[in-house]
Amino acid sequence: MKRTLAVIFAGLLSATPLAAQSVDDFPSKPMTYIIPFNAGGESDISARFQQAEWEAVTGQQVVIQYQPGAGGAQAWSQLNSLPGDGYTIMGINMPHTVLQPLAGSAGYKTEDLTPVNYFHYTPNAIFVTKDSEFKTLADLVDYAKANPGLVTFAGSGSNSANNLAAVQFNELADINTTYVPFSGTGPSITAILGGQTTAGFNYATSGVSQGDAMRMLAVASDERLPAFPDVPTFKELGYDIVGGAYRGVAVPSLTPEPIRQKISDIVTEINHRPDFIEKMESAGFVLTDIGYDKMDDFVAARIKEYTAGAKALGIIK
Amino acid sequence: MDIIGYLVDALTPLNLVLALAGVVLGTIIGALPGLSATMAVAVLVPFTFTMDPAAGLIALGAIYTGAIYGGAFAAILVNTPGTPSAIATTFDGFPMAKRGDGGLAISLATISSVVGGIVGAVALLVLAPPLAKVALAFGPTEYFWLAMFGLTLIAALSVGNTVKGLIGACLGLVLSMIGVAVVGGDVRYTMGMQRFLAGIDLTSAIIGLYCVPVILDLVANADPHLKPSETGGLRFREGTRIALKRKFNVIRSSVIGTIIGVLPGAGGSIAGLVSYSEARRTSENPESFGKGNPDGVIATESANNATVGGGFIPTLVLGIPGTPPDAIILGALLVQGIKIGPTLFTTDGNIVYTFIWGLLIATLLMLPVGLLIGRYAYSTIVKVPKAVLAPTVALLTIIGSFAIHSNVDDAQLMVGLGILSWILNRYGFQPSPIVLGLVLGSIAEQGFVQTYLIGNASGRMTEMFFMRPISIGIICAALLTLGFPFWADWKAKRRRQLGQIAEPIADDGTEITPEHKQRDLPEIGFAILFIILGIGIYLGASGMSALGSVFPKTIAAVLIAFSALLIAMNLRRPAGGSFKLANLNAGAMRRISLGVVLLAWVFLMPVIGFLVTSMIAFVAIMIVADYDRPPAKTWAIWIVSGLLICTGFWWLMANVLLLRMPAGLLI
Repeated sequence: MKRTLAVIFAGLLSATPLAAQSVDDFPSKPMTYIIPFNAGGESDISARFQQAEWEAVTGQQVVIQYQPGAGGAQAWSQLNSLPGDGYTIMGINMPHTVLQPLAGSAGYKTEDLTPVNYFHYTPNAIFVTKDSEFKTLADLVDYAKANPGLVTFAGSGSNSANNLAAVQFNELADINTTYVPFSGTGPSITAILGGQTTAGFNYATSGVSQGDAMRMLAVASDERLPAFPDVPTFKELGYDIVGGAYRGVAVPSLTPEPIRQKISDIVTEINHRPDFIEKMESAGFVLTDIGYDKMDDFVAARIKEYTAGAKALGIIK
Repeated sequence: MDIIGYLVDALTPLNLVLALAGVVLGTIIGALPGLSATMAVAVLVPFTFTMDPAAGLIALGAIYTGAIYGGAFAAILVNTPGTPSAIATTFDGFPMAKRGDGGLAISLATISSVVGGIVGAVALLVLAPPLAKVALAFGPTEYFWLAMFGLTLIAALSVGNTVKGLIGACLGLVLSMIGVAVVGGDVRYTMGMQRFLAGIDLTSAIIGLYCVPVILDLVANADPHLKPSETGGLRFREGTRIALKRKFNVIRSSVIGTIIGVLPGAGGSIAGLVSYSEARRTSENPESFGKGNPDGVIATESANNATVGGGFIPTLVLGIPGTPPDAIILGALLVQGIKIGPTLFTTDGNIVYTFIWGLLIATLLMLPVGLLIGRYAYSTIVKVPKAVLAPTVALLTIIGSFAIHSNVDDAQLMVGLGILSWILNRYGFQPSPIVLGLVLGSIAEQGFVQTYLIGNASGRMTEMFFMRPISIGIICAALLTLGFPFWADWKAKRRRQLGQIAEPIADDGTEITPEHKQRDLPEIGFAILFIILGIGIYLGASGMSALGSVFPKTIAAVLIAFSALLIAMNLRRPAGGSFKLANLNAGAMRRISLGVVLLAWVFLMPVIGFLVTSMIAFVAIMIVADYDRPPAKTWAIWIVSGLLICTGFWWLMANVLLLRMPAGLLI
């Protein structure tokens, strides 16, 4: 009932010329940007980079809030109950928003969410410590072939981008390794640095924050990363693995079309600012340009890819 | 030396003002349960973008250390940890306050926090790179054993009542399993409810388990909440004298806190619990712990503030945040364009060292700031009439549990758990073991499954679990803690046999119920309920992945075993104990009314709106809690001040902390 009223009310609002005009002024007050994860992760850091540019682009500030829980599902399941005036936006991630509904009661469906712009991704990468005996990916694969099951990969979470990549890699390289899930990037990097596991499947961003302490053996991007010109891609080495975690901005479903487009434009504009590009790329993020107009195709392609991945993970039969 | 040179950089007027403002703000936020350092730091990060990096860091670090310290106020004065780090402060702090030593407890907490903070910051200043290696030496196995070590504290906390303590721990572990599992990814025990997906929030659970029973007891009789102190004030001199005498405890706890702070997976609550347990083990009269022994407050408070400096060590040296506030500060550094990692201390040494000096200065400022705020808070809590105190504390619990995620579900859970906790406590199941289980559950489970996976892959299972040097050390410490109460018990018996009569211990405010001599029917009833719960959990685990079901099945089995043991113990006792029916006297009626008001408050809040519901509930609780029957004029003043308090907090949350407030039909 309340929902219906809200829909009618929002409809009335957007029908008035006053509201139509407000798209041009948008935003006219500070915006709230909800991150569905804890502080300090890749989602937070990239949003903080955006925050530093936000005022210059929109004339208004953006406030970052954290609503962690259930790997993001806690926040995403509430996204559509938030006001659809455009002033509340939320970070959104792939493959999370595809895999979670497939895995079971996540409280939302992939198609319920309204992403307006996916602005970057962090490619998966294999890491070992700097003292590791494995200098190249071939060394690691040879060792894994000679010792089935012995190689352990630390990664962030179960049914996550890292987990998916580890399963994919097992399949493509025809090896048998063990994936050990940790509660986040921080703990899994700690395990790699401490030599608790043989190697790690993490995001390329960790290669920057750890400097020389870790060696990246391969990265799952299309082309080599500017920050790591010497690290080969999986593709170059003959494994067709491209991907990682995609991050974007979503809005509640009540948000009117012009505002959705406007928010997408804001994110795209920030993506083109030199300072932002410099910070993101040197931190190991790969910028993407998937605005609101390209969103449907992008999401459809990802759903197809991750549904296949979910079968490999054993989430769905 | 260079390092000293940076002290001068830290001493600019701007930095000093930032450090002072940060400590004041942090202490106040920390003292309010639910408003956390993480929240304060997150809101303030954007303001530091335009500041000089070192100045911004000093402000954030000062808020952080102030908040960890401020948590002690709520722990001592209302038995509710203001931050999870202060869990163990409640064990002795509140009993001290109840018997009239609240001021002394605050002084001790202040002195210990300052010393602990200094030890942590000095370690960060001079020992950061070598200590960062400790963080790396701690693998999943060590975290598993550390959690086990924490759980052994239950044996000490529930002397004479160990089985119930262990059952409580199992209940806490069960609560920790709810939600999406990190290892395995299963959705566990949410009963199909979306609100449980993210699991039981620790902070709102702590507020409910500790604080709601306090409010329920507060309204049940006309006695003052805390016994007024005979000498008044904070008794700072006496506190200094005690702290000097216990200097060994202060230093040991600070060192434990620093080292545990370095471990990214542990944090302030575990540091407090471990040093509490160590203080108890080495004490000459361990029986008095939990009944208001100053050593308990000293141990916890020096340890949890030491984790601040300790936590910055992996953050700054390895780029791995030790705690959530560290993670936000790490993000702020990255936005400033500072590269975290092994080279930070050389490339950006000026910023790092200026910041560390700033943190030290902020820690020292905690002494005057803390004593001022503490004196005010203490005298307010003692003087405020019950009819205003009870609703204010109730309002704070609801704000606190709501504010964590701007989520009404958390507030509802808090009230539900709180009422349950009061009932359980009445039958000898205390909240502390439940909280320990909840805090340590996920650490224990993740450590266990990860160790299992790694051990299984390499075929070295036994070696992984039992042969790693640090693990052996932790296991030994755990065994010592576990065995100690039994040994002390044996020694006491022996002493009695020798005809020496032990000195009676002052046990004002003790909450440990001795074992019953006769068969206790409600106890058997609870045990049967827990067995049914255990069976339900075991059966519920059958559909889960192998990784996700190990822990639930184990805990279910243990819960069933202990509950069966409790029944067996009762059956062995003579039957026919006086079966006390719940006595519906005036106190009980007030308790029930308060429970109803609290429940109505959290369930009507999303329908009617936060502000209006809170105002109505506030006045309702005033009526429930009133014993003085004052004239109408006083009532008018009370009600107006109540409405002002509600509006003030609502405004603070909506406009300063920028929380999304539930707005229903009204506001």
